[in-house]
Amino acid sequence: MTSTSPQRSEKIQIKLFADPSALPPLESFIPVFHGWIRDKKLDELLIDVADYAHVHEGPGVVLIGHEADYSIDHADGRPGLLYVRKRGLAESSAEQRLIDAIQRAQRARALLEDDPALSGIRFSNDELLIRVPDRLHATNTDECFAEYQPTVEHALQSSSLNLNALQRVGDPREPLTVRATSR
Amino acid sequence: MSAANRKDASWKERLDGRMPEHLAREIDVFEGQIELKKQKKLDDKLFAETRLRRGAYGQRYDNGLRDDGTGQKPLAFPRGELTKGPDTVWDAPGMQRIKIPFGKLSAEQLEVLSDLAEEYSDAILHVTTRQDIQLHFIHIEDTPDMHRRLASVGITTREACGNSVRNVTACQFAGVCSTESFDVAPYAHATTEYFLGHPDVQDFGRKFKIAFSGCADEPCGLVTFHDLGAVALTQEIDGKIERGFRVVVGGGLGAVPVEAKVLREFCPAEELLPLSQAVARVFARLGEKNSRARARIKFLIQKLGIDEFKRLVDEERANLRPDERWNALLSDLSVTDEDPVRPAGDLPESSSPAFNAWAKTNLRPQSQAGYYVATVTLPLGDFTPKQGRALADLARTYTGDAMRLTVEQNIAFRWISGADAPAFFDKLAALGLAEPGASTITDVTACPGTDTCKLGIASSRGLAGELRKHLTVVQDQLDPAVRNLRIKASGCFNSCSQHHVADLGFLGVSRNVGGRKVPHFNVVLGGQWSENAKSYGTVVTAIPSKNVPKVVDAIAQKYAQEKHEDESFQQFFQRIGKSEIRKLLQPFSKPPSYEEDKSFYSDWGDPREYTIGDLGIGECAGEIVPFVEFGLQAAEQELHGAQDALDSGDSGAAAKAGLGAMVTAAKALVRYLDVQVRDDADDVVAQFRTHLHDTKLFHDPFAKGKFAQYLLITAANKTLDQADTEIARRTLDEAQLFLEAAHACYQRMEQQRASGGDSPSSPAGQPETP
Repeated sequence: MTSTSPQRSEKIQIKLFADPSALPPLESFIPVFHGWIRDKKLDELLIDVADYAHVHEGPGVVLIGHEADYSIDHADGRPGLLYVRKRGLAESSAEQRLIDAIQRAQRARALLEDDPALSGIRFSNDELLIRVPDRLHATNTDECFAEYQPTVEHALQSSSLNLNALQRVGDPREPLTVRATSR
Repeated sequence: MSAANRKDASWKERLDGRMPEHLAREIDVFEGQIELKKQKKLDDKLFAETRLRRGAYGQRYDNGLRDDGTGQKPLAFPRGELTKGPDTVWDAPGMQRIKIPFGKLSAEQLEVLSDLAEEYSDAILHVTTRQDIQLHFIHIEDTPDMHRRLASVGITTREACGNSVRNVTACQFAGVCSTESFDVAPYAHATTEYFLGHPDVQDFGRKFKIAFSGCADEPCGLVTFHDLGAVALTQEIDGKIERGFRVVVGGGLGAVPVEAKVLREFCPAEELLPLSQAVARVFARLGEKNSRARARIKFLIQKLGIDEFKRLVDEERANLRPDERWNALLSDLSVTDEDPVRPAGDLPESSSPAFNAWAKTNLRPQSQAGYYVATVTLPLGDFTPKQGRALADLARTYTGDAMRLTVEQNIAFRWISGADAPAFFDKLAALGLAEPGASTITDVTACPGTDTCKLGIASSRGLAGELRKHLTVVQDQLDPAVRNLRIKASGCFNSCSQHHVADLGFLGVSRNVGGRKVPHFNVVLGGQWSENAKSYGTVVTAIPSKNVPKVVDAIAQKYAQEKHEDESFQQFFQRIGKSEIRKLLQPFSKPPSYEEDKSFYSDWGDPREYTIGDLGIGECAGEIVPFVEFGLQAAEQELHGAQDALDSGDSGAAAKAGLGAMVTAAKALVRYLDVQVRDDADDVVAQFRTHLHDTKLFHDPFAKGKFAQYLLITAANKTLDQADTEIARRTLDEAQLFLEAAHACYQRMEQQRASGGDSPSSPAGQPETP
């Protein structure tokens, strides 16, 4: 049997779910993300904006960066802000990497919620999704989840989110996916 | 625990034994080249062509500059000084093109492709107009592992780009079509296998595209605009029905569209590979190498004339050394066959308007009764990894490994039982993939354009998305003849959407208006998609991008109102003439002033003020790096490997690899002289002796033939793998000297060519065929 170790992965995704009733049309995010590049809103290299609004339950509008992407993701019909860490922080611990990812997702969320062009957009404090899109190091199995669970618990405790119930979700072919909710 | 199962195992270790050995080796070499480039030990052009031949393209902004709407700004990539080609920053995201020969895809392959899109790109898989898959925003250092994972399911990215034979395409209905002469898929497969890595296709000045069609009348193969096209035919010879092909050459789109010319009215099937090889060799020898703009084979044929080209091909064919693969690759014509997983069944009557609308445009009966081809319409050719995995599940349930990517950026599922069609449709609907209108006006094709392409001038995907949205809403009110029109949009003159053969084609251009740039599209009308893309459209006028939807409406309305009964759009356009259409479009041709409406000064889906400052130098053409340079580089890598083996105490492996490096370098020089040579070392050394040593071409001005002696003497030594350290060291020293001499020899021959002296060709010409 192949051993996995999700802690080794530099790749992490965090999804914060949006309130669908208060979600502006997808095209509203295009100028917002272009503005983030122009005005250097984040302390990371942002490169371009990709529009996939035509794809059913797709990544919507994606702000492409070097270390990470940000998208208004519609997977499973549930819109939200998806933070996609692609590389970096290799020297940090898995927990530090996860904490950093959650913080960056939260910072992007705050920018969106404060943007007048997206008036009314809101994200849930009661749920988030953590994913490790790296099949070399992580599979979507109970064993791999059990190995990753303490890391997730510690990272969530360090965040301002009060999320303490963890559950592995999704098809085993998908990346390791952990749903965190408040108990 | 085996290495593959360790927690810190790499993909290379994990997939060990699951990749074809030759693919695994090639990927290791590519990974080594990436490392050498990181250490700045490889030349930019050479590395660029190397990665391009592995399908790893550059993307927009990879020169490290991007206009953010207020001016061009540097993108501060971490390793900004490191490059992966001329003016191409190492860390800049790139595109990975993945060849899917004739579009044939298995469920397992689709799953792996989906995994890769999810892990390395922006979670979108894109189907191209040449039956490839493209993933965007890829980092170059991720490519070797991607290639390994693809190799583990039988996919190679080799020669997906670069100046070589690109993906071999064929109609998606091959084998299940009622109008075909016979199934062309096994021939497309054989051609793919034959040319992959073949020495005769490594030294082109430009790319070379091959397409197959099962019949002359339908458009699916589009052979007319390919460098080499083959249309299936049968002939009765001596009372027997023989298979063959009408072979055409020199077609192409791009800025100068040219229809292919007939090379052979009937080429017997068993002659297909040698004839194609002869064409490739003539192109490699005589095609333009310095000016990319005139390096496609169409220009060579224009220069020579088709009759002279035919004569040269005949001559080349007569001199070809027989190759057992010509027949071996065609010995099993069932190699591409598919077995249905469900019994045949009748299509049931349905009361569902949604199903009926979909079935009308997206279901096509096969030649096998009770089976259908279902076309899954992908908006702009895009789908998500999640959809990809679900489609793989559908394939397993309903069709088996019988998916084909189409040149209209969709996926065809073959062998759907009629009885299963409603259930299949319901499952597609749950995935958001049950849109009707395949191959109709709503199924707009587009190249990447300014979204990701370095050459894009206008947003072809933005326009295509807008037209899709607009036309989907009004499609029920459209005249049936209008509904069947095809629209294709290209971001620049390279014509990747194939707009020349659309009824309504659009080509991105830029215009200056009041001192500002405005994105426009040239309207190209009257192209013919049927009969293998029989004729090309003509440019009518340029229209501001934001007015194109209105232009489509106006043309569609005029056609619907004024067409004669059963008059095709091409006939209609020819009848009423260009000037009449230009008059119709005149009110849309001028944008409002900037002060009146700023939106005209931005492109679709992009709020930045429009600029063409982000245009880069395209990599479609590849870098022209002579094959000999690849060979010499490969030899150096072999020598590095030999040194590593010696350092690790394996003298036998070191000596063998050292000799192998000499053979590789010798082969590169032999091939430079346009001498046919096999891969085996004995033949290489024999040809080297005849054409380089005995002719003194290899001789150093001072040392004469000294550096060749060790190779000539030692090549016959079959016991080198038992060499001791002393012999190994000597072999490596000799190999180093040989490689230096090979470089010097190449430079002398190049100088001789450049100075216009006698071409340093083999005095003996082509050797006798054995």
